[in-house]
Order: sequence, then C-alpha cells, then structure tokens
Amino acid sequence: MAASLSSTASARLLSSLRSGSLSRGLHVTAARCKNRAARVRVGKGDRPLTYEEALPPHHIAHRKGWLSQHTGNLRGEEGTAERTVEDVFVRRFIFGTFHGCLANELVIKRRGNVLVVCALMLQKLQPQKFYFLIGYSETMLSHLYKCPVKLEVQTLQDKAVYKYL
Amino acid sequence: MAAPMALRRGLFSLTRILGGIAHSVPRALGACSANKTCNIIRSRLPLASSTYFHTATVFSSQPSSITVTKEPDALFQRVSLLVKGHDKSVLDSYELFATMAAKELGIAISKVCELPKDTERFTLLKSVHIFKNHRVQYEMRTHYRFIELSHLTGSTAQVYLEYVQRNLPEGVAMEVTKTAMEKVPDHILKPMWEEDPIDNKLSQG
Repeated sequence: MAASLSSTASARLLSSLRSGSLSRGLHVTAARCKNRAARVRVGKGDRPLTYEEALPPHHIAHRKGWLSQHTGNLRGEEGTAERTVEDVFVRRFIFGTFHGCLANELVIKRRGNVLVVCALMLQKLQPQKFYFLIGYSETMLSHLYKCPVKLEVQTLQDKAVYKYL
Repeated sequence: MAAPMALRRGLFSLTRILGGIAHSVPRALGACSANKTCNIIRSRLPLASSTYFHTATVFSSQPSSITVTKEPDALFQRVSLLVKGHDKSVLDSYELFATMAAKELGIAISKVCELPKDTERFTLLKSVHIFKNHRVQYEMRTHYRFIELSHLTGSTAQVYLEYVQRNLPEGVAMEVTKTAMEKVPDHILKPMWEEDPIDNKLSQG
C-alpha cells in the first residue's frame, strides 16, 4: 500500500531527526489510512453524482435508505448469505442486460416469495425493446431462482444529478 | 356458523379495498428511502418526464373458499405479534396499519409497545493483508414492535393474521404467538371433598 510505505519512510526520517539536536516528542501514527468504501473523492467539480453515489455509507438509515430489503439481516433470522449472493447476481444480470441504460442503483425487495427489482432507466432504447428485455430478465430470473420475479421500471431522460464533485 | 361466514365475506371485500392502500404505503416508503430529505431534494431538481412501464401484476390474490364446520371455534386468550425491522419509520406505519385493521374488525387491542432495539456489532480488519491496527466496525440494528390482541375467535384470528401478513412490507419479519383457551375438564371442576363427604368422615374416624 502506497500510504503505508510513505508513512514508514516518514517515520524513519523523523526518528533520525529526533536522535539529532531536536528533542521534540513526535507521535507518528499512520493516520492516512482513511476510509474509502463507497465514497467518491472530491475532484474538480465536473463529475455529476446521483444522491445515492454522493452520500457515504455512514449516512445509511439517516439520510440514505437501503438498496436491498430482506429479512436476512434481522436478529434471529436466517438466510443472510443466500440473499446477498442472489442480490449480487441480480445486480450484475440487470446491469448487463440493460447495458448503459441504468440511471441509478437497483432497489431489490423481497415480499414473501416474490423478488421485486425496482430500476431507474434512461430512455436510450425503443419502448418495444425495453418491454422485451424486461420480459426476458423476468423469465430468466424466475427460472433461475424458482420464485416470481417482478421488474418495476421507471425511465428518465437523463440521470438525476444531486451534486458535482 | 352464519356469523363467521358473513364476517369472512365482509372481510374479503375489505381486503381488496385496504390492500391497495396498504400496498402503496410501504412501497412508497421503500422507494423514497424512508427519509424526508429525499422528497425535498426530488422536488427541487428539475426532473425530466418519466415514464412507467406497465408489467403484469403478481400480487392478485383469489379469495379462499368459505368453509363451514360444525366443530366449535378455537378461542384465543392472547394473540401477540412481534414485528422486527431495520427501519423504525416502516415499523411505525405498519403499527398504524395493523391497529387500524384491528379496530375496523372490532378486535380488542390490549398492548402496543416498542421494545428496545438490538444492535449487532462486529469489528473487522480494514485491509486485506496485515495492518492489524486499522479496523472497520459494522453494526446491524433490529427495531421491534409488539402488538397484543386479546380474546379472539379462531376464525377472526385466522382472517386478521392472513390480512396483516399479506401486507407485510419488505425487510420486515413477524413472529406470532397465540395463547389458546381450553375448557376445564369436567372431572376437576369440583374438588373431591365436596362430592363424597361421607367417605371422608369414615376415613377420619
């Protein structure tokens, strides 16, 4: 990790300084290991971000909602790993089927046996092609997971921009 | 059994009316991320025209057939629902929905309370390899709601539970505990010393 190497290099420099004339107590900790998960770093101000992308993960349940809603993560409930793996597969499948058309992350909900996938799409394709792809993905996913799968699609002209970073 | 039949028919028509409303409430909450700030932001942004694709409805339910039996209906002293979820506002709205449904059906609600939340925390290493001093902490919160109904008949309980369970929002789990009442058996209704007083006197003397 580049961050760690630079910190050890700085530690060596500072220790050599300390052994010389300066007798300051320097506390060298690698404070540069910042969290980078699901965060977009600030840039020039030309990169458009949706609300979902702009907020970091510690805002979930405060300013953000959940992208995948199931009971696997509740106390006393089973099936966490299975739901997570299904979610990942469904996201990749839909991303590939509607290539370049997704405006935002998918919202996956499970009500009883039914898997409901809510997607925001851009109006890039003809409506007939959209209908075909929706039917295709619904049938394929329901055959794969042996449960009724419903795809709820809303389309937009452009992505809904919340911030520019 | 005329009363339960009429009750069931009335309830199924009620199901169709209330089902639409109940569906829209949790769905709207889920889509808007259950936060007021999201709504404000969406109204500010100049969103271009959006179109909805109409797909077939999956949730159309057929009313189950009405059965008439001569057995006496089971009586429940208490039916308690424990609802668990990650989002407190979803549980709030579900509690409103369940209590409203119980009031409409004339079921006595004895207790509606909020149990303290459970937090499951764990600490993992932040990096894939070494760096033991840098860790990440995650937590999962489970919020609870407890609704207790008292003095129900078996058919009322069955209908109410089916209605309330069909409209459970996504990401919410429910546990139901029923306490049934049974008739006291005849042979222990009266104490033995009242039945045969002569025998007791003979045994004592």
